[in-house]
Amino acid sequence: MPVRAAARLRAGARTLAPNAVLLTLSIVMLAALWLTSTVSVAPNRIVPGSAFDVVAAFGVAGALLVSLLLLALAALSLKAERVNYQAMLLLVVLILLLMPFGLMVAGHFLIDPALAQARLGIGAGYWTLLFVLLLCLVELRLRLGLKRLATAALLLGVALVWWLCARLWLDELALVQEFHSRQSAFYAALSQHLVLVASAVGVSLVLGMTLALLMRRFTRVEKVGFALLNFFQTVPSLALFGLLLAPLAWLGANVAFLRDLGVSGIGNTPALIALIAYSLLPIARNTYIALGEVRPDTLEAATAMGMRPAQRFWQVRFPLALPVLLEGVRITTVQAVGLAAVAALIGAGGLGTFIFQGLGQAAMDMVLLGALPIVIMALIMDAGLGALAELTRHGGQA
Amino acid sequence: MQASVVSLRPGFALRWLVPLGWAALLALAVFGMQYADGFFRWIAPDARQVIYSRASFLDLLGRHLLVVGVAGAVTIVVGVLAGIGVTRRYGRDFLPLAGQLASIGQTFPPVAVLALAVPVLGFGTLPIIVALMLYGLLPILRNTLAGLQGVDAGTKEAALAMGMTQRQILWRVELPLAAPVILAGIRTSITINIATAALGATVGASNLGDPIISGIVNSNMAYVLQGALLIALLALTVDSLFDLFQQALAKRSAA
Repeated sequence: MPVRAAARLRAGARTLAPNAVLLTLSIVMLAALWLTSTVSVAPNRIVPGSAFDVVAAFGVAGALLVSLLLLALAALSLKAERVNYQAMLLLVVLILLLMPFGLMVAGHFLIDPALAQARLGIGAGYWTLLFVLLLCLVELRLRLGLKRLATAALLLGVALVWWLCARLWLDELALVQEFHSRQSAFYAALSQHLVLVASAVGVSLVLGMTLALLMRRFTRVEKVGFALLNFFQTVPSLALFGLLLAPLAWLGANVAFLRDLGVSGIGNTPALIALIAYSLLPIARNTYIALGEVRPDTLEAATAMGMRPAQRFWQVRFPLALPVLLEGVRITTVQAVGLAAVAALIGAGGLGTFIFQGLGQAAMDMVLLGALPIVIMALIMDAGLGALAELTRHGGQA
Repeated sequence: MQASVVSLRPGFALRWLVPLGWAALLALAVFGMQYADGFFRWIAPDARQVIYSRASFLDLLGRHLLVVGVAGAVTIVVGVLAGIGVTRRYGRDFLPLAGQLASIGQTFPPVAVLALAVPVLGFGTLPIIVALMLYGLLPILRNTLAGLQGVDAGTKEAALAMGMTQRQILWRVELPLAAPVILAGIRTSITINIATAALGATVGASNLGDPIISGIVNSNMAYVLQGALLIALLALTVDSLFDLFQQALAKRSAA
């Protein structure tokens, strides 16, 4: 029996057993579509909207169309064949492409054109559908063995269609309205966020690598260094920001030289210091491990070939350590994207500003305007730096 | 006397010393904060009131621990069970997706998860608990998977050959061998949750994040410092306890 199960797993595509994962996901989507609210309509940005189900949102024909597409997905998942997986991939992409048009239809049915302030909110069912469709995409990618690049291109295409729809026709959508009303603030926050993340990662890359080199050379530095970095990593971000506020406020107020540099309790300086403190551990640890993984006989061979120590480091040790080091940069960057959002609390700006202002005003569209780009940014950084690490790994092996 | 204990069982007293030390500092901060009026007056000379008093620090600590504790308990049970489920024969189909999900989920910033939970779940303590559960699940799931998949296939085969049932193999071979990795996942999950719960103060949950948030809003550095001190000490206490567990576990499996 275990042998057969293993064989089925290996063959995967060729047996006629159903794919339980995609079947389950299809049923979840159908249930979410019919049992939870699809969209909501609010007269303005503060009043909570009233919810509408799928028939009210898409009309009978639209609701049937979506249900049929999902049923087709479920039917295709009954046979785990490669052809079926390909058909399911097409279906999933088709549904993803149709989704913004669904919102247009809902806007047409439910929004009174006389009410200029009225806005369309996305309901739980719609979010669930979107999320589960992305899960289907992940599963299909694994089953079909799609390349990272192909999936990225696919998602980029879908995102382009979504963006075009939002740009041209989806003016009623609450998120789009929120974006329009604070467009310049959004771009400013986005660039602030990116600058904060980039400078924190950049500075800690230099500091962390130096620290790792020192720790490799002196054992005493290693112990103290890791203890200190672990300590910072353990202290919650909000607390670290708070603990930095008081001393920096004092320094900014009492030391003229630092005040001229822009040091103060609130703002960029404490945020940057805290972000660097958090970023140091993953970078220093990965550099330390990466340098240690280079085999001693490789280094010996380099010396025997007549390389000087500097040459040996830059031409042998560093390139071999690069993939693990980049892994550290990836972890650090993704972490910094999230922490920079918290930094908005102490006035560092960035996309977190929208989150906390929105929470303060109970304006959920504003919260989304801050949170969604942060999530997307983190995912892009993760994928991009992950691909880069993979690339250097292949280069190193060849 | 202290010296004799150390020399009798080297390392033992010293190891307990760290968590006990942090816990003692935490207790001192919780109960002694109100007597440090003079110090906080120096920090925030312009503030009308320098000791946070909307709730007692013990209350805030209790609520913080409650939120993290409830979320943690549910996550540990669900995460470990899910990890076991997808590595059994009946759940194998879900293994690749679960693995991918656990690693993609790590990319989601906790703040964003918290913020996205509010429109769906509303303000208050319950949404925080749900958000913490969703987020804390992934490190535990990931490490359970890594731990169970890291068990050598030959070891499992040997257990099977000895006549063990699948259930016995799980309880006596796989879980004990995977325990250190699973515990590391639980440690990560709880550490993140202590930090994220503090952010819950921005969505209407009252806990140790409260003094920080209201201190920032009213620019009262003394409040900020009080909240920050307590959260930091709580995190360090819990983390050092986990460190102790992990060492004990490593020692037991080495023996």
